[in-house]
Amino acid sequence: MGNGGNVRIDVERSILQSAEDAAAEIRALLLERKIYALNLISSPGSGKTTLIEALLARVEGKGGVAVVEGDIETEIDAERIRKHGVQVRQINTRSSCHIQPSRLLSVLREMDLSETRLLLVENVGNLVCPAEVPLGEDARVVLLSVTEGDEKPLKYPLVFKTSDLLVITKTDLLPYVTFDVDRVRRAARAANPVVEIFEVSATTGAGMSALLDRIEARQAMKR
Amino acid sequence: MHELGVANEILDIALSEAGRHAAKKVTSIRLRVGVLRAIESGNLSFLFEHLARGTPAEGAHLEIVEEPVRVECDACGVSEAASFLLECPRCKGSGVSVTGGDSLSILSLDVDA
Repeated sequence: MGNGGNVRIDVERSILQSAEDAAAEIRALLLERKIYALNLISSPGSGKTTLIEALLARVEGKGGVAVVEGDIETEIDAERIRKHGVQVRQINTRSSCHIQPSRLLSVLREMDLSETRLLLVENVGNLVCPAEVPLGEDARVVLLSVTEGDEKPLKYPLVFKTSDLLVITKTDLLPYVTFDVDRVRRAARAANPVVEIFEVSATTGAGMSALLDRIEARQAMKR
Repeated sequence: MHELGVANEILDIALSEAGRHAAKKVTSIRLRVGVLRAIESGNLSFLFEHLARGTPAEGAHLEIVEEPVRVECDACGVSEAASFLLECPRCKGSGVSVTGGDSLSILSLDVDA
């Protein structure tokens, strides 16, 4: 004990306060520019980039779409997206397992968003850290591919609890894997009763138009 | 390793609060951590200890108050659980909604004034 004795200071403050402040700045920027933003989260390899490509192939007016790719290393995903003729930026997070909102904010400030109506942010592939950090998005989208197993909502409840949309991907592979779609639906609803669930295959195109319609309807509401 | 970012934020907040109160040393930090946060307390303490070296929070003890999830069952009301679940821990019914368990906050600091 020091000479002045031990004193308790009440703090009652979120540990994520600085991230929440940066996310609030992003939200204000998106609101001012009337941009609808999605934060895409999933395990590595469940098809985030492929889903974005499938959306871009179907969306009208690609000039209105901007994409931010998050990965620990490489520009591989940004190069894939660039081929679709949309504005794209890559964030390499190095030691961080998720996109930091402060980093996204500075990238968005560098981009020309004058024509942008829809922003797709692909987070770093994992189901733990990106779930903890808000990016000021309008909707958080968690992807779960049928090859990953139907117990994921139970193992990673936070991401399913905090996501507005659940997109079950690679449904064309359902005949070849043991994956109980109803089990996933039940678990996801228990985590978030108002979650919207979509089943898609980017390969066959099944379910893609329903997902795009949903995104475009919400995007129109923000304009 | 997602505890690293959390440990960094805890240290930043603790040092700024200690500075504001002109405290010499931070001896203990109380946290509320929801069970859904997947924070491994040993890992968090290890990383915090490392980051706090050479600062007024060196050697501070992290005291973690765990926040359970709240389970609302259609049949038998509210109970608590230490992890996410799909059925009521009491009646095993499936009509449940799970809330809470996602806190991540600093409650208080103990400092030497």
